[in-house]
Amino acid sequence: MQSQWAILSGIEGNLAAYEAVLQDIRRQRHPVTELYVVGDVVGLKGDNEAVIRRLRSHSSSSGASPHPGEFVPQVCVGWWEEQCFSLHGFSGVLNAPELMAQFGSDGVKHLWESVSRESVEWLRSRHFGFHELDCLLIHGSTVSYADELTPKTPAIQLCDRLIRADANTLFCGRSGLIFECWVEPSMLRSTVTTLDGVQDLIEQGKTPRRVVGVGSVGRTPGQATYTLYNPANNQVTFNAVSYNSVKGFGTVS
Amino acid sequence: MKQTLTNSIALIAVAGPPGSGKTTWITQFLRDPQRPLFYCCPGMGSGSVDQAQIAYRFPGVHLLPEHQTPQIFADLPAQALVYLELGFHLDLTSPSLASLPCQRVAVLPAGLKESDWHDWADEVIPGNDLTVPAPNNLPELWRSPLTGQVFDAPSLDELLIELTGGAYGQVQRVKGIFELPDGRAFLVDFAEGLPGIAYTELNIPRWLEGRPDRFSGIEVVGWNLERATIAQTLLAGCLSEGAIAHHQEQYKSLISSETDQAETILA
Amino acid sequence: MKLAVISCIHGNYEALNTVLADIDAQQAEQIYCLGDLVGYGPHPNAVVELIRSLDIPTCQGCWDEDIVEGLNACECSYPSQLAEKRGHIAHEWTNNVIHPEVREYLATLPMTLRLDNLCFVHGSPHSQHEYLLPSMDGFTALERVLSANAEVLFCGHTHVPYVRNLEDGNLGIRVQQPGQDESIAQVQIPLKRIINAGSVGEPRHGRPNATYVLYDTDTAQVSLREVPYNYQKTCADIIAKGLPPIFAWRLARGMEFAERADDPSHVCQR
Repeated sequence: MQSQWAILSGIEGNLAAYEAVLQDIRRQRHPVTELYVVGDVVGLKGDNEAVIRRLRSHSSSSGASPHPGEFVPQVCVGWWEEQCFSLHGFSGVLNAPELMAQFGSDGVKHLWESVSRESVEWLRSRHFGFHELDCLLIHGSTVSYADELTPKTPAIQLCDRLIRADANTLFCGRSGLIFECWVEPSMLRSTVTTLDGVQDLIEQGKTPRRVVGVGSVGRTPGQATYTLYNPANNQVTFNAVSYNSVKGFGTVS
Repeated sequence: MKQTLTNSIALIAVAGPPGSGKTTWITQFLRDPQRPLFYCCPGMGSGSVDQAQIAYRFPGVHLLPEHQTPQIFADLPAQALVYLELGFHLDLTSPSLASLPCQRVAVLPAGLKESDWHDWADEVIPGNDLTVPAPNNLPELWRSPLTGQVFDAPSLDELLIELTGGAYGQVQRVKGIFELPDGRAFLVDFAEGLPGIAYTELNIPRWLEGRPDRFSGIEVVGWNLERATIAQTLLAGCLSEGAIAHHQEQYKSLISSETDQAETILA
Repeated sequence: MKLAVISCIHGNYEALNTVLADIDAQQAEQIYCLGDLVGYGPHPNAVVELIRSLDIPTCQGCWDEDIVEGLNACECSYPSQLAEKRGHIAHEWTNNVIHPEVREYLATLPMTLRLDNLCFVHGSPHSQHEYLLPSMDGFTALERVLSANAEVLFCGHTHVPYVRNLEDGNLGIRVQQPGQDESIAQVQIPLKRIINAGSVGEPRHGRPNATYVLYDTDTAQVSLREVPYNYQKTCADIIAKGLPPIFAWRLARGMEFAERADDPSHVCQR
């Protein structure tokens, strides 16, 4: 079977949005074979525990999965998960200063109360990212979970992130935007002089590579975005799903 | 063979200075499946690096205990071919060695024209060209078993560079078998005067379940060796129980994911 | 103006003194220092006092930071477990002998210094721990200079001096977003340079001599300086002060004390 990846980010506790995206994924003409969630499963505005339960239900090994036959989502950590780790004393930085700076003490209190210790443990055992084929799927970049790449990021910086990622396609989710940004480092002459004299000039042109913003499932109420990737033809497709954020799902592609 | 113990058993004694290439010379004959092969390195006790590397590299070769040789020779099967590696510290004129009815081979640096080895040998094989220590200034041998220890590879590199570079006394020869956290074991060989340090991966199964329960160890030949510092530095490069377990898990999952991929491609 | 840029002195007073004399002889008008004043070597206080007394503008290096903040370098910044254990011994020793006012001074050091279009850092503009090796990908290296918003980036940390010219840079970029026109742009990047000042007190180029660089801001000319000094004295002091003798053995061979990470561009999150 030809593989097709669905890549999601930024559920941020928004279960209705996640269910709407899952339904859209199930309706794809080319069946989705892999489901990646690149971070920000939790947030401030939704039901974090419900989303974590839902993600874990896919992967229940007890055989009592409420949704049999579904693919198992592969989840990596994002900015919000890192804030949880910081609050729970699982990272080098204590008391989530980034969260405090952006969302104040109310944000800190809410995140602390809305994610159980057990869920934090589960989140902690997720990966930092996934290297698959010639792609890296990660929340920010290999520099940091907080590294926010957008179409406005300077070309040289995107180029740097791609080289560091050691990937031809870098899928990331921090910005919440959907975009495909091709970078072609076509020319550069480098000459190094050491104590032993001038070394050979090296030309360092490279093939084009790209950064893909995979969108955000839950950040904007009523409107979810996510990304499909077909490794066979290297094509990226962005999907937008409208849903009723109060009850039921009415999806529009 | 000029001399044989009995009509059918051949005994070949090999001597020479450290690093001349005795073991290397012997190993070229150890693939011969035609005859039962035996190896012995008297005076090294059990668990010498050479004995272990012969056992790892040539599982068909039988190792002989170093003591009670006459009885053991008597019990050898017909057609047996026995290699006796004589270390530089053994006195070739000692009665027990002199009385052995064997073919005497000396592996010697080409530059060495005259020596006790020349007088002793039936045949001289040109070996590695290195300086032979004066008989009145024989180096000391320090060795340590390392069985169960697993090394951080970059630390091992570093300490071998220092050790062979003379940081812990003048070193003439280093031989060792070292375990790495990916389950592989390496034979390390250095002789003063020869370029570089040779690393040979041993063709034995990867050890991925805890501390390896098979021989590893090091032998250093040299002068004024700072034994305590060498031992300390070796230990500083050994991985903790937890680190070993962590690496082994990683390699196991790497191997299983590679296997999975191979299956997917086949499917 | 003729600048002298020095880095990575690592408590080697003898080397610093000789290099300062050479800088005088070369008639440099201004000295910049890229940090790592302390660590491994036997005279951390004397080195800091000399730098202070001469008012040399100095950035903070990773060793200076560790002495201020407590041991903070992640284990991934060491090339081996052995080097890490030795690094800890050196840190402990330095931490015990350092004077309070020296520690306070190290705490005041900035991460970055600027002079017109020149930028001075210890490791890279992103981190004191990042190694800008000459073999680093050219575009990655270019990003470091551009992110510092400089024409010339001076760095140290690798202990081997070099000059790297990055010229005729050309980057194409094409952005596609749903509901928007595709945008295409070409970015041309004229000559940028990275100049690594090497190491005064802990060279790694295979000879025991101290290294530093001279830079003429008018002609943009660089010269890499290699200065012999009485390293035997530093080696003797290492042993006399009770530091591990292997530090002296390595110093005498220009082998550094081994601190280069496997993944030189690795940036620790801590």
